[in-house]
Amino acid sequence: MSAVLEVRGLSKAFGGINAVEDVSFEVNEGEILGIIGPNGSGKSTLFNCILGQLLPSAGSVHVDGRAVTGMRPCDLNRLGVSRTFQLLQVFPQMSVRENLILAGQEHQGAMWSRLFGRRDAGLSEAAQRMIDFFRLAHVAEEKAGGLSYGQQKLLDAAMAFMAGPRLVLLDEPAGGVNLTMLADLRERLRAINAEQKATFVVIEHNMEFVMALCTRILVLAEGRIIAAGSPDEVRRDPKVIEAYLGH
Amino acid sequence: MQLLQILISGLATGAIYALVAVGFMLLWQTSQTINFAQGEFVMLPAFFVLAAMKFGGLSFGWAMLVGLIASLLILGLMFKKLLVDPMLRHGVLPLVISTIAFALFLKEGVKEWYSAEAQPFPAVWATTNIEVAGAVVSVQNLVIIAVAVVAVGTLQWFLAGTRTGRCMQATAQNPGLARILGVRVDRMILYTFLINGALVALASFLISPIYLAKFTNGETLGLAAFIAAIVGGFNQVRGAIAGGLILGVVDNLAAAYISTQYRGAIPLFLLIAVILFRPQGLLGRAEERSV
Amino acid sequence: MKRLPAVLGLIVLAGLLIAPFALKPHGIYLLSMWAVMSIAAIGLNLTLGYAGQISLAQAAFVGIGAYCTAILTTKFGWSFPATFVLGAVLCFVVGWLLGYPALRVQHHYLAFVTLAFTTLVYLVLRNEEKITGGTYGISGIKRPVLLGWATQGARDYYFLCLLVLAVVAFATWWLVRSPWGRAFMALRENPLRASSLGVDTRRYTLMAFAIGSALGGVAGSLYAPLVEFIDPSPFALGLSLNLLLMVIVGGSGYFWGPFLGAIVSVLLPEWLRVADGLYLIIYSVAVMVLMVFCPSGLLGLAERIFKRPKAANAAKVAT
Repeated sequence: MSAVLEVRGLSKAFGGINAVEDVSFEVNEGEILGIIGPNGSGKSTLFNCILGQLLPSAGSVHVDGRAVTGMRPCDLNRLGVSRTFQLLQVFPQMSVRENLILAGQEHQGAMWSRLFGRRDAGLSEAAQRMIDFFRLAHVAEEKAGGLSYGQQKLLDAAMAFMAGPRLVLLDEPAGGVNLTMLADLRERLRAINAEQKATFVVIEHNMEFVMALCTRILVLAEGRIIAAGSPDEVRRDPKVIEAYLGH
Repeated sequence: MQLLQILISGLATGAIYALVAVGFMLLWQTSQTINFAQGEFVMLPAFFVLAAMKFGGLSFGWAMLVGLIASLLILGLMFKKLLVDPMLRHGVLPLVISTIAFALFLKEGVKEWYSAEAQPFPAVWATTNIEVAGAVVSVQNLVIIAVAVVAVGTLQWFLAGTRTGRCMQATAQNPGLARILGVRVDRMILYTFLINGALVALASFLISPIYLAKFTNGETLGLAAFIAAIVGGFNQVRGAIAGGLILGVVDNLAAAYISTQYRGAIPLFLLIAVILFRPQGLLGRAEERSV
Repeated sequence: MKRLPAVLGLIVLAGLLIAPFALKPHGIYLLSMWAVMSIAAIGLNLTLGYAGQISLAQAAFVGIGAYCTAILTTKFGWSFPATFVLGAVLCFVVGWLLGYPALRVQHHYLAFVTLAFTTLVYLVLRNEEKITGGTYGISGIKRPVLLGWATQGARDYYFLCLLVLAVVAFATWWLVRSPWGRAFMALRENPLRASSLGVDTRRYTLMAFAIGSALGGVAGSLYAPLVEFIDPSPFALGLSLNLLLMVIVGGSGYFWGPFLGAIVSVLLPEWLRVADGLYLIIYSVAVMVLMVFCPSGLLGLAERIFKRPKAANAAKVAT
């Protein structure tokens, strides 16, 4: 059985700077992989290379055994890969419900069928399930731009899951979320991971969040992987401690 | 020979385009203002002068001063305060529409309140020709080039050599950062509007003797400003100058050697080619795309 | 209070149907012009208001549609419906191609590319005398007879324009409410996010251009027999700017925006004619004042006035 996500020898250089250098790893079905590292270690660049936002200088990315290096984000999404963003990215002028329907509609049939088919592309029920699951029922008809920060984060996550993806990449999902919501968010993510059997890759700065959520951790520093293992192993690894404290 | 003549007259027209393009570009860079009325801005100051002479009885010299001041006040200060400032936070399009409406207002205003006929405009130079390297060159063209060079040179010195000028450059490149560094961003933006007012007035005084002052002058001049600014390089003064000169020369060469019918198409193809293949312009720096 | 829009709509519709019997020929002509311009503005509203693509090329497509109909009916004896369809298809294809630059550049650059395109099309219309008649134009464009219905009279042709407008309005309403409409809006608001959700931004951008342009062509096909004589001058940058003004003044991205904008742009100058030569001056000042006080256009202004209490409640819920 091939890994859901396989990254081999990925490198990305900007001018003379190697933001990501020779990174290789695998993620298997159902895993929640966390990628941590001090600021500037290349986490976001790595994500953007995997997701087709940036073209890697070297190396390859495979999803379910299929080469996807440099594929357009929308094509990658239709293969079952989705993501959340570090800086909030919802559609402010559309309602929460509309945001969710949009998130799933491109997976329903061909483009032409969507012109003549149902208004909601048959997704009203699925959207309602997401709304209930992420506890957004009381704001379902509000414009997304009017929601609080925490609510928008939940919506962002909900949108990533609408199409039932195989692989979800979460970019700092805990960023700016208050403590009470954090526990909620973590519990929701674990629940949906179990329910949809989706595979997660999470970039995070919040140590506590990542250690509690993830089954396996990768540590990046200056573009390279310096440690990998279970949360406990990584926490005690002297190289990791040095990478963080050494800055 | 003929080529030299065409080149020089091309450079002269180009020098005027350059003045207008620089002003257009400065407005765009510092305050995201795409001034669709820029052409009318060049059309108008000449009429200030004519009105000052006709209704105020002033001599040409004083009238030009009045025209310059009126330009600074109306096309610089009032334009910024009344039209641009209220609309900046609402995005580019409403401002674009306003400048389109403003252009219409200026055009119809001149037509209605001064005249619909083309008006002769006095020149500051002698209408004689001299010989340079065996070609006959008009003094007019040389004066235009000289004046434009002095104006642009002064502007460049101001921008690079004085503290205020450097603050203006900072504002153009990164207003947020400039503000944090203590630059009075709003004042800098006002200065760019005033500079534009001066540049368009100068261009107006240079071009009106040749093409006569008419309320429809704005249309072609506006288009020339956009093309020059984009072709040359949208984010550098040097770029706008180069764009203007290139446009002037290409335009004149096309008129001389290609069918006059499609003469207007050459600058347009140039514009499309530059936008598609080198959007930062021939001399510009690649703009950072915000992701 | 909720019934107000529906009641208003019925009154307006009744007005549109009765008006031609009460107006003089010039008035009917103006209403027909309003209908035709509304169609072109609806097209631009799709491209710009819903999909967020700045296009200054709409005038060129109106011109292509108009000349297509004019040339084929007067010189080759084609039937009007055939030229109508051909014009729309031709504009669709050219619009699709014009969309490619939109994929490479954004916003202000796109505005200038489309501006250049418009001017180029105008030059071609003006210079290719053998085909287009050049500055002499094409005259004697006949109004069609459709299934026995002769539209030569002002009133009849008005009803034809109104009919086409109704069909276009319905089709657009359907489009905007469908998943395509949602995708267009996503494209406008956040193309990056849209792409990451599987929205094929390339296809939808091209489609937004193509459909908007096709509607421009439709408007042009109706325009030619309305004015009965065309020359290149109306199909230049000025019309593109005018259509842009209609969309923004009416309210960009609002369904009824183009209708309102077309009223302002076509009818307001006429009503101001009492002010003689000043009417364009008053018009331009009115537009500037509107933009300063309400950049989201007339419908944005209406929304602000009528929905203020609702918005306050929503804000309370969100915190």
